[in-house]
Amino acid sequence: MGLDWVTGFLNKLWDFTVQSLTDNVPLIIGSVKAIVIAVAVMSVVPALVWLERRLMGRFQVRLGPNRVGPFGFGQPMADTIKLLFKESIIQSSADKFLFHLAPAVVVFTAIVAFAVIPFGAPFEVFGQTIELWGANVNSGILFVFAISGMGIYGMVLAGLSSNNKYSLMGGLRSSAQMISYELTLGLSALSVIILTGSLSLIDMVEAQEIVPFILIQPLAFLLFFIAGVAETNRAPFDLPEAEQELVAGFHTEYTGMKFAMFFMGEYINMVTMSALVTLLFLGGWNSYGIPIWPIVAFVGKVVFLLCVFIWLRSTFPRIRYDRLMTFGWKVLLPLCLLNLLITGTIKVL
Amino acid sequence: MFDLATVFEFTRDTVILTVGITAVLASLGVILCSSPIYCALYLISHMICLALLFLLYNAEFLAVVQIIVYAGAVMILFLFIIALLGGKKEIQENSLERSIAFGLIFTLLGELYLSATVGPTKQIEGTINSEMFGTAKAIGLELFSKHIVAFELASAVLLVAAVGVICLAKFSFTPLKRR
Repeated sequence: MGLDWVTGFLNKLWDFTVQSLTDNVPLIIGSVKAIVIAVAVMSVVPALVWLERRLMGRFQVRLGPNRVGPFGFGQPMADTIKLLFKESIIQSSADKFLFHLAPAVVVFTAIVAFAVIPFGAPFEVFGQTIELWGANVNSGILFVFAISGMGIYGMVLAGLSSNNKYSLMGGLRSSAQMISYELTLGLSALSVIILTGSLSLIDMVEAQEIVPFILIQPLAFLLFFIAGVAETNRAPFDLPEAEQELVAGFHTEYTGMKFAMFFMGEYINMVTMSALVTLLFLGGWNSYGIPIWPIVAFVGKVVFLLCVFIWLRSTFPRIRYDRLMTFGWKVLLPLCLLNLLITGTIKVL
Repeated sequence: MFDLATVFEFTRDTVILTVGITAVLASLGVILCSSPIYCALYLISHMICLALLFLLYNAEFLAVVQIIVYAGAVMILFLFIIALLGGKKEIQENSLERSIAFGLIFTLLGELYLSATVGPTKQIEGTINSEMFGTAKAIGLELFSKHIVAFELASAVLLVAAVGVICLAKFSFTPLKRR
Protein backbone atom coordinates (compact mmCIF):
# COMPACT_ATOMS: atom_id res chain seq x y z
CA MET A 1 0.00 0.00 0.00
CA GLY A 2 2.69 2.45 1.11
CA LEU A 3 5.01 1.14 -1.61
CA ASP A 4 2.38 1.76 -4.30
CA TRP A 5 2.06 5.35 -3.22
CA VAL A 6 5.84 5.80 -3.38
CA THR A 7 6.18 4.25 -6.86
CA GLY A 8 3.23 6.30 -8.09
CA PHE A 9 4.81 9.45 -6.74
CA LEU A 10 8.18 8.57 -8.30
CA ASN A 11 6.50 7.88 -11.63
CA LYS A 12 4.75 11.22 -11.52
CA LEU A 13 7.98 12.95 -10.56
CA TRP A 14 9.80 11.24 -13.44
CA ASP A 15 7.05 12.26 -15.89
CA PHE A 16 7.16 15.83 -14.64
CA THR A 17 10.95 15.96 -14.93
CA VAL A 18 10.90 14.59 -18.49
CA GLN A 19 8.07 16.94 -19.44
CA SER A 20 9.74 20.03 -18.04
CA LEU A 21 13.07 19.05 -19.62
CA THR A 22 11.52 18.65 -23.07
CA ASP A 23 9.55 21.88 -22.67
CA ASN A 24 12.60 23.81 -21.58
CA VAL A 25 15.19 22.65 -24.13
CA PRO A 26 16.06 26.23 -25.22
CA LEU A 27 16.48 27.24 -21.57
CA ILE A 28 18.80 24.30 -20.88
CA ILE A 29 20.85 24.95 -24.02
CA GLY A 30 21.12 28.60 -22.99
CA SER A 31 22.29 27.78 -19.48
CA VAL A 32 24.86 25.29 -20.74
CA LYS A 33 26.14 27.85 -23.24
CA ALA A 34 26.37 30.51 -20.54
CA ILE A 35 28.42 28.22 -18.30
CA VAL A 36 30.68 27.08 -21.16
CA ILE A 37 31.34 30.66 -22.29
CA ALA A 38 32.04 31.96 -18.78
CA VAL A 39 34.38 29.09 -17.91
CA ALA A 40 36.16 29.18 -21.28
CA VAL A 41 36.69 32.93 -21.13
CA MET A 42 38.09 32.74 -17.61
CA SER A 43 40.39 29.82 -18.36
CA VAL A 44 41.75 31.56 -21.45
CA VAL A 45 43.40 34.11 -19.15
CA PRO A 46 46.24 31.92 -17.75
CA ALA A 47 46.95 30.62 -21.25
CA LEU A 48 47.12 34.18 -22.51
CA VAL A 49 49.47 35.20 -19.71
CA TRP A 50 51.71 32.29 -20.67
CA LEU A 51 51.57 33.29 -24.35
CA GLU A 52 52.38 36.90 -23.51
CA ARG A 53 55.36 36.02 -21.31
CA ARG A 54 56.77 33.56 -23.86
CA LEU A 55 56.31 35.92 -26.80
CA MET A 56 57.65 38.92 -24.85
CA GLY A 57 60.70 36.80 -24.06
CA ARG A 58 61.27 36.06 -27.73
CA PHE A 59 60.71 39.69 -28.76
CA GLN A 60 63.31 40.80 -26.23
CA VAL A 61 65.81 38.07 -27.25
CA ARG A 62 65.51 36.02 -24.07
CA LEU A 63 63.79 32.74 -23.27
CA GLY A 64 60.81 33.61 -21.12
CA PRO A 65 59.44 31.20 -18.48
CA ASN A 66 60.67 27.68 -19.34
CA ARG A 67 61.42 25.90 -16.05
CA VAL A 68 57.99 24.83 -14.75
CA GLY A 69 56.66 22.02 -16.92
CA PRO A 70 57.21 21.58 -20.69
CA PHE A 71 57.63 24.98 -22.41
CA GLY A 72 56.82 26.62 -19.08
CA PHE A 73 53.18 25.50 -19.22
CA GLY A 74 53.16 25.03 -15.45
CA GLN A 75 54.06 28.68 -14.86
CA PRO A 76 50.51 30.13 -15.18
CA MET A 77 49.19 27.43 -12.82
CA ALA A 78 51.87 28.21 -10.26
CA ASP A 79 51.09 31.93 -10.62
CA THR A 80 47.37 31.33 -10.14
CA ILE A 81 47.92 29.25 -7.00
CA LYS A 82 50.26 31.90 -5.62
CA LEU A 83 47.70 34.67 -6.22
CA LEU A 84 44.86 32.63 -4.71
CA PHE A 85 46.73 31.96 -1.47
CA LYS A 86 48.29 35.38 -1.06
CA GLU A 87 47.11 37.44 1.90
CA SER A 88 44.59 40.10 0.96
CA ILE A 89 45.62 43.41 2.50
CA ILE A 90 43.21 46.34 2.75
CA GLN A 91 44.48 49.53 4.27
CA SER A 92 42.28 50.89 7.06
CA SER A 93 41.55 54.21 5.31
CA ALA A 94 39.99 52.54 2.27
CA ASP A 95 36.25 52.42 1.60
CA LYS A 96 35.76 48.68 2.20
CA PHE A 97 32.60 48.14 0.14
CA LEU A 98 33.80 50.01 -2.96
CA PHE A 99 37.24 48.45 -2.60
CA HIS A 100 35.70 44.98 -2.91
CA LEU A 101 33.18 46.03 -5.54
CA ALA A 102 35.68 47.47 -8.04
CA PRO A 103 37.48 44.28 -9.20
CA ALA A 104 34.15 42.42 -9.32
CA VAL A 105 32.73 45.08 -11.68
CA VAL A 106 35.76 44.80 -13.96
CA VAL A 107 35.58 41.00 -14.30
CA PHE A 108 31.78 40.84 -14.47
CA THR A 109 31.48 43.38 -17.30
CA ALA A 110 34.35 41.74 -19.19
CA ILE A 111 32.64 38.33 -19.13
CA VAL A 112 29.14 39.66 -19.88
CA ALA A 113 30.39 41.60 -22.90
CA PHE A 114 31.56 38.30 -24.36
CA ALA A 115 28.04 36.84 -24.19
CA VAL A 116 26.93 38.31 -27.53
CA ILE A 117 30.09 37.47 -29.50
CA PRO A 118 29.26 34.83 -32.15
CA PHE A 119 32.09 32.46 -33.03
CA GLY A 120 30.74 30.20 -35.75
CA ALA A 121 27.83 29.38 -38.03
CA PRO A 122 24.98 27.42 -36.40
CA PHE A 123 24.91 23.61 -36.79
CA GLU A 124 22.47 20.80 -35.90
CA VAL A 125 22.81 18.15 -33.18
CA PHE A 126 19.97 15.70 -32.34
CA GLY A 127 17.49 17.81 -34.30
CA GLN A 128 18.35 20.88 -32.26
CA THR A 129 20.01 23.82 -33.93
CA ILE A 130 22.97 24.81 -31.80
CA GLU A 131 24.05 28.38 -32.43
CA LEU A 132 27.59 29.25 -31.52
CA TRP A 133 26.75 32.43 -29.66
CA GLY A 134 25.56 33.16 -26.18
CA ALA A 135 22.70 35.41 -27.20
CA ASN A 136 21.57 36.81 -30.53
CA VAL A 137 20.94 40.39 -29.47
CA ASN A 138 19.53 42.53 -32.27
CA SER A 139 21.77 45.42 -31.36
CA GLY A 140 24.75 43.21 -30.52
CA ILE A 141 27.54 45.69 -31.16
CA LEU A 142 25.82 48.37 -29.08
CA PHE A 143 25.46 45.83 -26.28
CA VAL A 144 29.22 45.20 -26.29
CA PHE A 145 29.94 48.93 -26.21
CA ALA A 146 27.42 49.50 -23.40
CA ILE A 147 28.80 46.74 -21.20
CA SER A 148 32.45 47.60 -21.81
CA GLY A 149 31.55 51.21 -21.00
CA MET A 150 30.31 50.02 -17.62
CA GLY A 151 33.71 48.41 -17.07
CA ILE A 152 35.28 51.88 -16.66
CA TYR A 153 33.45 52.17 -13.33
CA GLY A 154 35.57 49.35 -11.93
CA MET A 155 38.74 51.34 -12.50
CA VAL A 156 37.29 54.66 -11.33
CA LEU A 157 35.89 53.06 -8.16
CA ALA A 158 39.20 51.34 -7.48
CA GLY A 159 40.92 54.72 -7.74
CA LEU A 160 38.34 56.47 -5.58
CA SER A 161 38.11 53.87 -2.83
CA SER A 162 41.83 53.23 -2.33
CA ASN A 163 42.43 56.62 -0.65
CA ASN A 164 45.76 56.95 -2.40
CA LYS A 165 46.66 59.82 -4.70
CA TYR A 166 48.37 57.59 -7.27
CA SER A 167 45.31 55.36 -7.44
CA LEU A 168 43.05 58.39 -7.81
CA MET A 169 45.20 59.77 -10.63
CA GLY A 170 45.14 56.38 -12.32
CA GLY A 171 41.37 56.12 -12.02
CA LEU A 172 40.87 59.63 -13.40
CA ARG A 173 43.24 58.97 -16.27
CA SER A 174 41.57 55.72 -17.17
CA SER A 175 38.10 57.28 -17.25
CA ALA A 176 39.28 60.26 -19.34
CA GLN A 177 41.19 58.04 -21.74
CA MET A 178 38.43 55.51 -22.19
CA ILE A 179 35.71 58.12 -22.72
CA SER A 180 37.86 59.83 -25.37
CA TYR A 181 38.73 56.67 -27.23
CA GLU A 182 35.22 55.22 -26.98
CA LEU A 183 34.14 57.92 -29.47
CA THR A 184 36.68 56.76 -32.03
CA LEU A 185 35.74 53.14 -31.40
CA GLY A 186 32.03 53.80 -31.89
CA LEU A 187 32.42 56.04 -34.92
CA SER A 188 34.74 53.67 -36.78
CA ALA A 189 32.36 50.80 -36.06
CA LEU A 190 29.59 53.00 -37.44
CA SER A 191 31.08 52.87 -40.93
CA VAL A 192 30.77 49.07 -40.83
CA ILE A 193 27.20 49.45 -39.55
CA ILE A 194 26.47 51.72 -42.54
CA LEU A 195 27.87 49.12 -44.94
CA THR A 196 25.88 46.28 -43.36
CA GLY A 197 22.71 48.15 -42.48
CA SER A 198 22.39 46.17 -39.26
CA LEU A 199 23.55 46.31 -35.64
CA SER A 200 23.69 42.54 -35.30
CA LEU A 201 27.19 41.03 -35.27
CA ILE A 202 25.93 37.93 -37.09
CA ASP A 203 24.56 40.00 -39.99
CA MET A 204 27.91 41.78 -40.18
CA VAL A 205 29.79 38.51 -40.61
CA GLU A 206 27.29 37.31 -43.22
CA ALA A 207 27.77 40.56 -45.17
CA GLN A 208 31.51 39.78 -45.46
CA GLU A 209 31.09 36.43 -47.17
CA ILE A 210 32.88 37.58 -50.34
CA VAL A 211 35.22 40.34 -49.22
CA PRO A 212 36.26 41.16 -45.63
CA PHE A 213 35.61 44.77 -44.66
CA ILE A 214 39.31 45.39 -44.00
CA LEU A 215 39.78 45.71 -47.79
CA ILE A 216 36.83 48.12 -48.16
CA GLN A 217 37.44 50.07 -44.95
CA PRO A 218 41.19 49.97 -44.22
CA LEU A 219 41.15 53.34 -42.43
CA ALA A 220 38.23 52.34 -40.22
CA PHE A 221 40.03 49.10 -39.36
CA LEU A 222 43.17 51.00 -38.34
CA LEU A 223 41.23 53.51 -36.24
CA PHE A 224 39.16 50.77 -34.60
CA PHE A 225 42.24 48.76 -33.71
CA ILE A 226 44.11 51.75 -32.25
CA ALA A 227 41.06 52.76 -30.21
CA GLY A 228 40.64 49.12 -29.17
CA VAL A 229 44.20 48.98 -27.81
CA ALA A 230 43.52 52.21 -25.90
CA GLU A 231 40.20 50.87 -24.58
CA THR A 232 41.81 47.75 -23.16
CA ASN A 233 44.48 49.88 -21.45
CA ARG A 234 47.28 48.00 -23.15
CA ALA A 235 50.71 49.41 -23.92
CA PRO A 236 51.47 51.89 -25.53
CA PHE A 237 48.25 53.34 -24.06
CA ASP A 238 48.57 51.92 -20.53
CA LEU A 239 48.66 55.37 -18.95
CA PRO A 240 46.31 54.44 -16.06
CA GLU A 241 49.02 52.17 -14.67
CA ALA A 242 52.16 53.96 -15.85
CA GLU A 243 54.82 52.61 -13.48
CA GLN A 244 57.29 55.45 -13.60
CA GLU A 245 54.72 58.11 -12.68
CA LEU A 246 51.89 56.37 -10.82
CA VAL A 247 53.50 53.31 -9.14
CA ALA A 248 50.76 51.07 -10.59
CA GLY A 249 47.83 53.41 -11.07
CA PHE A 250 44.39 52.37 -9.93
CA HIS A 251 45.47 48.95 -8.62
CA THR A 252 48.37 50.17 -6.46
CA GLU A 253 46.67 49.11 -3.22
CA TYR A 254 45.34 45.75 -4.41
CA THR A 255 46.93 42.44 -3.48
CA GLY A 256 46.33 38.75 -4.09
CA MET A 257 43.27 37.62 -6.00
CA LYS A 258 41.68 41.08 -6.16
CA PHE A 259 44.75 42.31 -8.01
CA ALA A 260 44.55 39.26 -10.25
CA MET A 261 40.91 40.08 -11.04
CA PHE A 262 41.95 43.39 -12.60
CA PHE A 263 44.39 41.47 -14.73
CA MET A 264 41.72 38.94 -15.66
CA GLY A 265 39.45 41.79 -16.72
CA GLU A 266 42.17 43.29 -18.88
CA TYR A 267 42.97 40.02 -20.61
CA ILE A 268 39.31 39.11 -21.18
CA ASN A 269 38.78 42.59 -22.64
CA MET A 270 41.72 41.91 -24.94
CA VAL A 271 40.07 38.71 -26.18
CA THR A 272 36.73 40.51 -26.64
CA MET A 273 38.37 43.33 -28.56
CA SER A 274 40.23 40.88 -30.82
CA ALA A 275 36.98 39.01 -31.42
CA LEU A 276 35.22 42.29 -32.28
CA VAL A 277 37.92 43.29 -34.75
CA THR A 278 37.70 39.82 -36.31
CA LEU A 279 33.90 40.04 -36.61
CA LEU A 280 33.81 43.60 -37.93
CA PHE A 281 36.76 43.68 -40.28
CA LEU A 282 38.36 40.27 -40.83
CA GLY A 283 35.24 38.39 -41.90
CA GLY A 284 34.51 36.48 -38.69
CA TRP A 285 34.35 32.73 -39.34
CA ASN A 286 34.49 33.02 -43.15
CA SER A 287 37.66 31.25 -44.29
CA TYR A 288 37.70 32.51 -47.93
CA GLY A 289 38.39 29.22 -49.69
CA ILE A 290 40.80 27.74 -47.16
CA PRO A 291 39.26 24.37 -46.19
CA ILE A 292 39.09 24.61 -42.38
CA TRP A 293 36.20 24.58 -39.95
CA PRO A 294 34.58 28.00 -39.46
CA ILE A 295 35.31 28.00 -35.74
CA VAL A 296 38.99 27.26 -36.39
CA ALA A 297 39.13 30.19 -38.79
CA PHE A 298 37.58 32.46 -36.16
CA VAL A 299 39.84 31.32 -33.31
CA GLY A 300 42.90 31.54 -35.57
CA LYS A 301 42.16 35.16 -36.44
CA VAL A 302 41.56 36.03 -32.79
CA VAL A 303 44.83 34.41 -31.67
CA PHE A 304 46.69 36.27 -34.43
CA LEU A 305 45.25 39.59 -33.22
CA LEU A 306 46.18 38.72 -29.62
CA CYS A 307 49.75 38.17 -30.79
CA VAL A 308 49.62 41.60 -32.46
CA PHE A 309 48.50 43.11 -29.13
CA ILE A 310 51.54 41.55 -27.42
CA TRP A 311 53.80 42.59 -30.29
CA LEU A 312 52.65 46.21 -29.92
CA ARG A 313 53.35 46.08 -26.20
CA SER A 314 56.93 44.98 -26.65
CA THR A 315 57.59 47.39 -29.55
CA PHE A 316 56.28 50.83 -28.60
CA PRO A 317 57.18 52.96 -25.59
CA ARG A 318 54.35 54.46 -23.56
CA ILE A 319 53.25 57.85 -24.91
CA ARG A 320 52.93 60.99 -22.82
CA TYR A 321 49.51 61.73 -21.34
CA ASP A 322 48.81 65.07 -23.05
CA ARG A 323 49.93 63.60 -26.38
CA LEU A 324 47.55 60.68 -25.85
CA MET A 325 44.63 63.06 -25.44
CA THR A 326 45.73 65.26 -28.36
CA PHE A 327 46.11 62.18 -30.53
CA GLY A 328 42.66 60.92 -29.60
CA TRP A 329 40.76 64.18 -30.04
CA LYS A 330 42.67 65.97 -32.81
CA VAL A 331 43.84 63.12 -35.05
CA LEU A 332 41.71 60.01 -34.61
CA LEU A 333 38.31 61.69 -34.16
CA PRO A 334 38.48 63.97 -37.26
CA LEU A 335 39.76 61.05 -39.34
CA CYS A 336 36.84 58.96 -38.11
CA LEU A 337 34.31 61.65 -39.00
CA LEU A 338 35.87 62.08 -42.44
CA ASN A 339 35.78 58.35 -43.05
CA LEU A 340 32.17 58.22 -41.92
CA LEU A 341 31.24 61.10 -44.24
CA ILE A 342 32.87 59.41 -47.24
CA THR A 343 31.32 56.01 -46.45
CA GLY A 344 27.88 57.53 -46.00
CA THR A 345 28.12 59.52 -49.22
CA ILE A 346 29.21 56.48 -51.24
CA LYS A 347 26.46 54.36 -49.68
CA VAL A 348 23.77 56.93 -50.57
CA LEU A 349 25.07 57.40 -54.11
CA MET B 1 0.50 19.06 -12.53
CA PHE B 2 1.84 22.58 -13.04
CA ASP B 3 1.03 24.58 -16.08
CA LEU B 4 4.44 25.73 -17.23
CA ALA B 5 3.12 28.78 -19.04
CA THR B 6 1.60 30.20 -15.87
CA VAL B 7 4.79 29.41 -13.94
CA PHE B 8 6.75 31.33 -16.59
CA GLU B 9 4.32 34.25 -16.43
CA PHE B 10 4.58 34.28 -12.65
CA THR B 11 8.40 34.32 -12.75
CA ARG B 12 8.36 37.11 -15.30
CA ASP B 13 6.02 39.21 -13.16
CA THR B 14 8.16 38.57 -10.11
CA VAL B 15 11.30 39.65 -11.94
CA ILE B 16 9.62 42.81 -13.23
CA LEU B 17 8.34 43.63 -9.74
CA THR B 18 11.75 43.00 -8.15
CA VAL B 19 13.55 45.19 -10.68
CA GLY B 20 10.95 47.94 -10.26
CA ILE B 21 11.21 47.90 -6.47
CA THR B 22 15.00 47.96 -6.70
CA ALA B 23 14.76 50.99 -8.99
CA VAL B 24 12.58 52.83 -6.46
CA LEU B 25 14.86 51.89 -3.56
CA ALA B 26 17.92 53.03 -5.50
CA SER B 27 16.31 56.37 -6.30
CA LEU B 28 15.51 56.78 -2.59
CA GLY B 29 19.18 56.08 -1.90
CA VAL B 30 20.18 58.94 -4.19
CA ILE B 31 18.39 61.52 -2.05
CA LEU B 32 18.90 59.93 1.37
CA CYS B 33 22.59 59.00 1.15
CA SER B 34 25.06 61.51 2.59
CA SER B 35 28.21 60.56 0.67
CA PRO B 36 28.27 61.91 -2.92
CA ILE B 37 30.07 58.86 -4.33
CA TYR B 38 27.40 56.53 -3.02
CA CYS B 39 24.70 58.90 -4.31
CA ALA B 40 26.18 58.66 -7.78
CA LEU B 41 26.38 54.87 -7.48
CA TYR B 42 22.74 54.69 -6.43
CA LEU B 43 21.82 56.78 -9.47
CA ILE B 44 23.79 54.41 -11.71
CA SER B 45 22.04 51.37 -10.26
CA HIS B 46 18.70 53.12 -10.73
CA MET B 47 19.49 53.68 -14.40
CA ILE B 48 20.58 50.07 -14.85
CA CYS B 49 17.27 48.96 -13.31
CA LEU B 50 15.41 51.17 -15.79
CA ALA B 51 17.38 49.58 -18.63
CA LEU B 52 16.46 46.13 -17.32
CA LEU B 53 12.80 47.16 -17.26
CA PHE B 54 13.04 48.28 -20.90
CA LEU B 55 14.65 44.94 -21.69
CA LEU B 56 11.89 43.00 -19.92
CA TYR B 57 9.34 44.80 -22.09
CA ASN B 58 11.28 43.83 -25.25
CA ALA B 59 12.58 47.34 -25.97
CA GLU B 60 16.11 46.10 -26.58
CA PHE B 61 17.52 49.13 -28.37
CA LEU B 62 16.16 51.55 -25.79
CA ALA B 63 17.70 49.49 -22.97
CA VAL B 64 21.14 49.49 -24.59
CA VAL B 65 20.96 53.21 -25.36
CA GLN B 66 19.87 53.90 -21.78
CA ILE B 67 22.99 52.14 -20.50
CA ILE B 68 25.38 53.75 -23.02
CA VAL B 69 24.13 57.32 -22.66
CA TYR B 70 22.98 57.63 -19.04
CA ALA B 71 24.65 54.89 -17.03
CA GLY B 72 27.82 55.01 -19.13
CA ALA B 73 28.59 58.47 -20.43
CA VAL B 74 26.71 60.89 -18.16
CA MET B 75 27.35 59.17 -14.84
CA ILE B 76 31.05 58.61 -15.48
CA LEU B 77 31.38 62.41 -15.79
CA PHE B 78 29.55 62.80 -12.46
CA LEU B 79 32.00 60.41 -10.79
CA PHE B 80 34.88 62.21 -12.51
CA ILE B 81 33.81 65.55 -11.03
CA ILE B 82 33.28 64.00 -7.59
CA ALA B 83 36.75 62.50 -7.75
CA LEU B 84 38.28 65.82 -8.85
CA LEU B 85 36.54 67.93 -6.22
CA GLY B 86 36.90 65.34 -3.47
CA GLY B 87 33.60 63.97 -2.25
CA LYS B 88 33.12 64.90 1.40
CA LYS B 89 30.28 63.55 3.49
CA GLU B 90 27.73 66.19 4.24
CA ILE B 91 26.65 66.57 7.85
CA GLN B 92 22.99 65.86 8.26
CA GLU B 93 21.00 67.63 10.91
CA ASN B 94 17.38 67.34 11.80
CA SER B 95 15.66 70.54 10.82
CA LEU B 96 12.25 71.79 9.83
CA GLU B 97 13.21 71.74 6.14
CA ARG B 98 14.24 68.12 6.40
CA SER B 99 10.96 67.00 7.94
CA ILE B 100 9.05 69.00 5.33
CA ALA B 101 11.04 67.25 2.59
CA PHE B 102 10.27 63.85 4.09
CA GLY B 103 6.60 64.76 4.32
CA LEU B 104 6.62 65.74 0.68
CA ILE B 105 8.32 62.50 -0.38
CA PHE B 106 5.83 60.32 1.45
CA THR B 107 2.89 62.33 0.12
CA LEU B 108 4.22 61.83 -3.41
CA LEU B 109 4.69 58.10 -2.80
CA GLY B 110 1.16 57.88 -1.46
CA GLU B 111 -0.14 59.67 -4.53
CA LEU B 112 1.84 57.28 -6.72
CA TYR B 113 0.24 54.35 -4.94
CA LEU B 114 -3.21 55.85 -5.32
CA SER B 115 -2.75 56.61 -9.00
CA ALA B 116 -1.47 53.08 -9.59
CA THR B 117 -4.45 51.44 -7.88
CA VAL B 118 -7.36 53.81 -8.44
CA GLY B 119 -6.43 55.99 -11.43
CA PRO B 120 -7.66 55.13 -14.89
CA THR B 121 -5.34 53.09 -17.09
CA LYS B 122 -5.72 53.43 -20.84
CA GLN B 123 -5.10 50.87 -23.52
CA ILE B 124 -2.38 51.71 -26.05
CA GLU B 125 -4.06 52.66 -29.30
CA GLY B 126 -2.84 52.06 -32.85
CA THR B 127 -1.19 49.05 -34.44
CA ILE B 128 2.21 47.79 -33.38
CA ASN B 129 4.36 45.92 -35.86
CA SER B 130 5.44 42.99 -33.70
CA GLU B 131 8.47 42.16 -35.87
CA MET B 132 10.00 45.61 -35.72
CA PHE B 133 8.98 46.36 -32.13
CA GLY B 134 11.77 47.87 -30.08
CA THR B 135 14.42 47.66 -32.78
CA ALA B 136 16.70 50.48 -33.90
CA LYS B 137 14.93 50.47 -37.28
CA ALA B 138 11.50 51.19 -35.79
CA ILE B 139 12.83 54.05 -33.67
CA GLY B 140 14.82 55.46 -36.57
CA LEU B 141 11.83 55.40 -38.92
CA GLU B 142 9.69 57.12 -36.33
CA LEU B 143 12.31 59.77 -35.51
CA PHE B 144 13.25 60.64 -39.08
CA SER B 145 9.74 60.71 -40.54
CA LYS B 146 7.20 62.02 -38.01
CA HIS B 147 9.47 63.91 -35.64
CA ILE B 148 12.18 65.15 -38.01
CA VAL B 149 11.76 68.86 -37.17
CA ALA B 150 11.85 68.34 -33.41
CA PHE B 151 14.79 65.98 -33.77
CA GLU B 152 16.85 68.42 -35.83
CA LEU B 153 15.94 71.30 -33.51
CA ALA B 154 17.10 69.26 -30.52
CA SER B 155 20.43 68.55 -32.21
CA ALA B 156 20.85 72.28 -32.98
CA VAL B 157 20.13 73.14 -29.32
CA LEU B 158 22.70 70.60 -28.15
CA LEU B 159 25.29 72.03 -30.55
CA VAL B 160 24.63 75.55 -29.25
CA ALA B 161 25.02 74.25 -25.70
CA ALA B 162 28.37 72.64 -26.54
CA VAL B 163 29.67 75.84 -28.17
CA GLY B 164 28.37 77.86 -25.22
CA VAL B 165 30.22 75.69 -22.70
CA ILE B 166 33.46 76.13 -24.60
CA CYS B 167 32.92 79.94 -24.71
CA LEU B 168 32.14 80.06 -20.98
CA ALA B 169 35.18 77.98 -20.09
CA LYS B 170 37.27 80.69 -21.82
CA PHE B 171 40.54 79.27 -23.01
CA SER B 172 42.39 82.46 -22.12
CA PHE B 173 45.60 80.80 -20.97
CA THR B 174 48.48 80.62 -23.44
CA PRO B 175 49.08 77.08 -24.65
CA LEU B 176 52.36 75.36 -23.85
CA LYS B 177 55.13 75.84 -26.36
CA ARG B 178 55.72 72.83 -28.57
CA ARG B 179 59.11 71.30 -28.27
